[in-house]
Amino acid sequence: MHNNSMKPLAYEACPQCDLLLNAEAIAVGIKAHCPRCGCLLYRPRHYSIERSFALSLTGLILFIPVNLLPLVGIVVLDNAQDASLWSGVASLYEEGLWGVAALVFLASLFFPFLKIMLSLLISGHLYFRKTHRHLSIWMRTLQHLDEWAMLEVYTLGIIVACVKLASRTELKFGFGLAAFIALLLVIVMLSSSLDEHLFWRRIDALNKSARKKT
Amino acid sequence: MSISNKKSALRQGLLRCHNCGYITTVLSTNTDNTPAAGTLNHCPRCDGELHARLPNSFQRTAALLCSAFILYIPANIFPIMIVTKFGVPEPHTIISGIVALINGGMIPIATLVFIASVLVPLIKMLGLSILLWAVQHRWQRNLRLLTVVYRLIAFVGRWSMLDIFMISILVSIVSSEALEQVLAGPAATAFAAVVVLTMLAANSFDPRLLWDRLGAH
Repeated sequence: MHNNSMKPLAYEACPQCDLLLNAEAIAVGIKAHCPRCGCLLYRPRHYSIERSFALSLTGLILFIPVNLLPLVGIVVLDNAQDASLWSGVASLYEEGLWGVAALVFLASLFFPFLKIMLSLLISGHLYFRKTHRHLSIWMRTLQHLDEWAMLEVYTLGIIVACVKLASRTELKFGFGLAAFIALLLVIVMLSSSLDEHLFWRRIDALNKSARKKT
Repeated sequence: MSISNKKSALRQGLLRCHNCGYITTVLSTNTDNTPAAGTLNHCPRCDGELHARLPNSFQRTAALLCSAFILYIPANIFPIMIVTKFGVPEPHTIISGIVALINGGMIPIATLVFIASVLVPLIKMLGLSILLWAVQHRWQRNLRLLTVVYRLIAFVGRWSMLDIFMISILVSIVSSEALEQVLAGPAATAFAAVVVLTMLAANSFDPRLLWDRLGAH
């Protein structure tokens, strides 16, 4: 039983309706959909590992200005006031809404950071063909936290807040906002260039070759 | 990908790993669809736990959905934001915030906020209720449409956080006590909880439960 199941089967199953499908090689640029429920099964990407590695490295660098610089500011009676990712969390916490503060912190800072770090670690290991005993755990974590990193939603929040403020005061936009938008683009591109099927196959191959050596 | 034989993988003793999509064989399953004793517990490829279907999917989704419904009431009754102008506090609920935007002539933004903080949570909660109903009553028709509803709910969930993020920016930026001050109200916690609970409910719902009833009597 165990020996038999270690051999890869030439089947796929739809994750949303469990229809059994014959596994087929899909060319880049083609989307494979489930014929029964229409679920997107697989969409192969060009240079997925290389792109993910480059993008996550870029994202990590962009995280520094995004964290340090203010996003937007207003001027009230010669008194400048800024908002950054951190100050929003801090004001909510000071007000006693620690639950909301924690959620904003996780969705706008912690999970995006973790997503970039994990992508960097995984794609880096795959790129240099190095194995690591935690590769599978990293990959599983990355898949689960994907929807909890909400920078694109935060961007809409910034837009709505700016529109509300613009009617009353003058707004100032800093480099922080530019860095934030760049980080947002990097994260969106990272999500779309990461080919999960390819990553799992390569992780599996690395783990197997490591097992043979020992 | 082509259809193998129009049957689900589980009914043919095959099991898909939730994490990496690897297909393994199971000899037998318990009544709750977990692999029976003596069969695989962990995926041979990614070492994640194997389940034929998400564990206790129906119960978990129902419980999370009920909590979300209950919290939706305080989220709409209590003020989500309190704007103090020249010392006069002016509480805003989600709806009155949108009305204020419309009165200010900002129709596109008002529509955006309305969709994100009123329509999306409602669609999500009603949609999940319909999905649970369909599983419970073994609907055999429109399964494809129901799966599309599931995908829509899973995609749209996070966008309701818009209001919470907007408030976090306004709270930190408008804090000069002299003229104007913005504080987050008690509804913010309730609304944030609704968003998180509905996201968790959508994650714990397994759409394959809909298809498992197909042709099984």
